[in-house]
Amino acid sequence: MIATAMLAFGQTPSPEARGPVPKSDPASIARGRESFVGACGFCHGSNAKGGEKGPDLLRSVIVLDDEHGKAIGPVILRGRPDKGMPRFPYSPQQILDISNFLHDAISNAADRDSYKILNIVTGDAKLGQAYFSGHCVSCHSVTGDLKGIGARYEPVTLQGKFLQPDSTWTEGTPPHPVNAFSVTVTLPTGNSFTGVPVNYDDFNVSLREPSGAYRSFKRGKDGPRVEIHNRLQFHLDLLMHISDAEIHNLTAYLVTLK
Amino acid sequence: MNSIFFVSALCAALIPAAICGQTLDPALLTRPATDSWPTYHGDYSGRRFSTLSQINRSNVRHLTLSWIFRIKVGITPNAIVGGEGPIPEGPPSDPGVSTIKSTPLMVNGVLYFSTPDNAWAVDARSGREIWHYTWKTRGGIHIGNRGMGMFGDWLFFETPDNYLVSLDARTGKERWHKEIADVKQEYFSTPAPIVVGNHVLVGTGGDSLDVPGFLESHDPETGEIQWKWWSAPLKKGDPGFETWPDEYAMRHGGGMTWLPGTYDPELHLYFLGTGNPNPVLTGRSRKGDNLYTCSIVALNVDTGKLAWYFQPSPHDTHDWDAAQTPVLIDTVIDGQPRKLLAQANRNGYFFVLDRATGKDILTAPMIRTMNWSKGISSNGQPIPDPGKEATVDGVLVSPPTGGATNWPPPSFDPETGLFYVGTSQAFSMFYLTDTDPHPEGWGAAERDAGYFGGDLEAIDIKTGKIAWDHHYPFGGGPVGILTTAGKLLFTGDGSGHLMAFDPANGDILWHAGLADDLSNGPETYLLDGQQYIVVGAGDQLYAFTVEP
Repeated sequence: MIATAMLAFGQTPSPEARGPVPKSDPASIARGRESFVGACGFCHGSNAKGGEKGPDLLRSVIVLDDEHGKAIGPVILRGRPDKGMPRFPYSPQQILDISNFLHDAISNAADRDSYKILNIVTGDAKLGQAYFSGHCVSCHSVTGDLKGIGARYEPVTLQGKFLQPDSTWTEGTPPHPVNAFSVTVTLPTGNSFTGVPVNYDDFNVSLREPSGAYRSFKRGKDGPRVEIHNRLQFHLDLLMHISDAEIHNLTAYLVTLK
Repeated sequence: MNSIFFVSALCAALIPAAICGQTLDPALLTRPATDSWPTYHGDYSGRRFSTLSQINRSNVRHLTLSWIFRIKVGITPNAIVGGEGPIPEGPPSDPGVSTIKSTPLMVNGVLYFSTPDNAWAVDARSGREIWHYTWKTRGGIHIGNRGMGMFGDWLFFETPDNYLVSLDARTGKERWHKEIADVKQEYFSTPAPIVVGNHVLVGTGGDSLDVPGFLESHDPETGEIQWKWWSAPLKKGDPGFETWPDEYAMRHGGGMTWLPGTYDPELHLYFLGTGNPNPVLTGRSRKGDNLYTCSIVALNVDTGKLAWYFQPSPHDTHDWDAAQTPVLIDTVIDGQPRKLLAQANRNGYFFVLDRATGKDILTAPMIRTMNWSKGISSNGQPIPDPGKEATVDGVLVSPPTGGATNWPPPSFDPETGLFYVGTSQAFSMFYLTDTDPHPEGWGAAERDAGYFGGDLEAIDIKTGKIAWDHHYPFGGGPVGILTTAGKLLFTGDGSGHLMAFDPANGDILWHAGLADDLSNGPETYLLDGQQYIVVGAGDQLYAFTVEP
């Protein structure tokens, strides 16, 4: 199948390139959070991002370089009298817990794949309904293919369904799998072949016919004629003119289709 | 005795001078390469145009495979092992480690190249390994490595855990290594060091946390630091401080230096593109233009002092580094000889500057999907639309964070006057996820929203107009490019092909199917009087030639 996803570029690493972020014991993180909020939060902020008196610890080089409390332990135990930080007579376990809490908070800030998208349902559902009536009803129906769609997906996933729909789905009776892309190859003899594209480049086009047969053709300056059809072209074209407000409104409407 | 071991043994014991003793003549660095490829871009200009024409439009159809070299990474039986990290439990699994993104150096018949934690010398005549060096890592993101720099017999490369490592080119033995940044602050290093005079210029990367970017110059003999240039001001009163709200924001403001720059020996200036500001996708805590992030800067190569800057993305909130190659072009405009600098920027615009002053001469859009700018200011800068900065409920933006183009090297052909670049057209939704007044890291999430394919574009540097364009509906896009006086353009298509185009009109003249997509910038050189084209695709290096 032709990959429509973009290639991975630049300094934006894939999750794979970054590797799994080692997670500490959740119970230790929870204990560390409790100790931290009680004793340190007043100055450093309950989220450790800094307060009126204490610096942001998620950007602290001492904390970043710390391993299992080895670097922050002495600071906690001795305090920083010159900077007004008192000493805290914590046990090694408590210091380890605080270290685990801080490193968990740092990895949550650094690991953008783990960021949680907040409430995106802010639009006007009525306006969204009007947009739907004006743009979507020639293909979709809220009593047919989209019946109950608001109950089937989280809002972000639902929004993604119209901004970048899946290129395969099931439809018809009996239900059968469908691919958004089809390709038709017409030979100089007039014979033509239509199917799901398997490969498409300047030198070759290959497809799988509805029968399951695989066909491959050499491409050159003199043909064959190759036509690609995308059943979701409307959704691609939509991106060139839909406004952010219309995206929010349409999302708000689709969410109501429970 | 297998053949690889045999060659290694020969190098080590018998005839090091004959096979491995390969001194780089510093003069090679200041004239266009023909019988060598002595620095990342082949020469200092970044044009990636070769004056060689032995392989040309009339014989390119006879271009044929000479050899393939497949890399084996990690602690292989013959590997020379260095590094500060623990012995790894198994072979490296990051795909970046086994992907050749570097442009190999070719000096006196030997190719030198690297991937994250690994470096090789390969006999350019036979495609056989001469030595392999591997580095035990302390961590860092292993996404890619752009290659090596060379001074005399000494090689330099950077590691994901931010060491500058120097090797003896003859043997692959380590001379020294110096830590340049802290891996625990999420720095990771990918650039190819650029050697200018007795300066080894090294940058770094990493924007997961909010750390400052810099460029360093090191002494090639000792590795000692000569100067350091920070890409954001350090304190109030420093140049550019008025473009940040406070010292705290500028010291956590990013601006990574993750691609090699270019150099003009007459102006004595090193030209470098800097990366995005931090936090990456939200600008609430860093109001202002955030100099010198997302900027093209000109630095005095002896002092690191800033001569001028131009900022393609003021107050960037979409991860659009201006790190792409600043290509140096000498041409005549309106009867006047001009020293220019051109950049195809990740933000979707093409820029031409006067490289003596940094003044903008031309700003032109490269892609039709772009929707983030309200126009061009009188000084040639795009004007960001604040309505396209991430919100909680999301905004639709083109290009996405990956950009209209990216690191793969473009090319300028002085014979056509066209600048060639691979572009990509797509949208993404940007959702603000960190609503704190002091967001950290990226601060927002991105979701793909529609892909319109990639293009190989030929841009007229005098008008900014697209002279011709080759569209790939399902792939292609930002891919490395080489042009030659043989009236050929070499690049890849995202479908595993190496292709030769006619640079004048975009006709395809030749192609070959490789085992993977082109993953580096193609290069060319003359060896034993014969011209070669060398490309990296995945874990393999391919050499092509026309047999006499």
